[in-house]
Amino acid sequence: MNFKIRRAAKEDCKDISRMIMDLAIYEKMPDQVKISHEELERDGFCQNPLFECLVAEVPEEHKSNEGFTVIGYALYFYTYSTWKGRAVYLEDLYVMPEFRGTGQLRIGTALLSKVAEIGKKKQCVRLQLSVLNWNTPSRDFYAAKGAQDLTVTEGWHAIRFDGQNLDNLANEAPKD
Amino acid sequence: MMAADAIFVYVQELAEYEKLAEHVKVTQKDLEQDGFSKNPFFHGIIAEVPEQHKTKEGHTKIGYALYFYSYSSWSGRAIYMEDLYVMPEFRGKGVGKALMSKVAQLALAAGCHQLNFTVLDWNKPSMDFYLSQGSFDITASMGYHCMRCEGEALEHLAQP
Repeated sequence: MNFKIRRAAKEDCKDISRMIMDLAIYEKMPDQVKISHEELERDGFCQNPLFECLVAEVPEEHKSNEGFTVIGYALYFYTYSTWKGRAVYLEDLYVMPEFRGTGQLRIGTALLSKVAEIGKKKQCVRLQLSVLNWNTPSRDFYAAKGAQDLTVTEGWHAIRFDGQNLDNLANEAPKD
Repeated sequence: MMAADAIFVYVQELAEYEKLAEHVKVTQKDLEQDGFSKNPFFHGIIAEVPEQHKTKEGHTKIGYALYFYSYSSWSGRAIYMEDLYVMPEFRGKGVGKALMSKVAQLALAAGCHQLNFTVLDWNKPSMDFYLSQGSFDITASMGYHCMRCEGEALEHLAQP
């Protein structure tokens, strides 16, 4: 079976949204998904997009059980390290279960490599992502590609303000 | 342009504090190019004191926050705060809190739903500060690990 990796078009957002939900279900947090294909269309396909996306596509004769030909995606954006400069952050990498595997079918690897290649062309010196500690298949996948787990090796923790806590913090900002 | 030179000094000081000083490869020129061109890779805010309160070395710019816009496929636009730093002699006076609140305000104004950043687990003063302000540690509570690919591993990955 062959497959193609290409830049996502606006029309792909419904498929991407479907797979975002699949990934959230896999990560046991489906109730955390608050945005739909409409936000993806608005945020990824405007003049200054907030993210970029690649999709993996198979030919019609190899479509999924439910009839989908867009069967994987990688969503990423550009970030900055004050120590090293430009970087790429891989927000999501997902391939539908029936298209995963070894041997010829290495769609996840192809998507990841393409993101790395695109980042390299933009002089990015790092590719970063996060992975849930219980997600052994993904941890093994990234480790095999040479990724380091900075939480384990250097002690980095990810911290977040959202919802009411973010509002409260913002309300305490000094007046201009 | 003046801000880039101040930011560069503080980036190095923050790296010293985090015991990772040899990792700073960015130059002042990189900061000028990447942060102050048409489509900047980052944004910065500076904390400044009046002339009469300048430091021993004569600095009036005594802290900074550097951030950029990111994206969550679950909640949309977000802000990532890359650095927050206040010179040691100006700590304990609410400057760090003011800088962080300003970033939060800018985040909301831009339609962001999250303010994210990372902290080293041994950095107790910072960890305590952030948690006391209402943030939560998603590594400890949800199990997220920060992963990175760079150098040779990244080169290898980028082979078409």
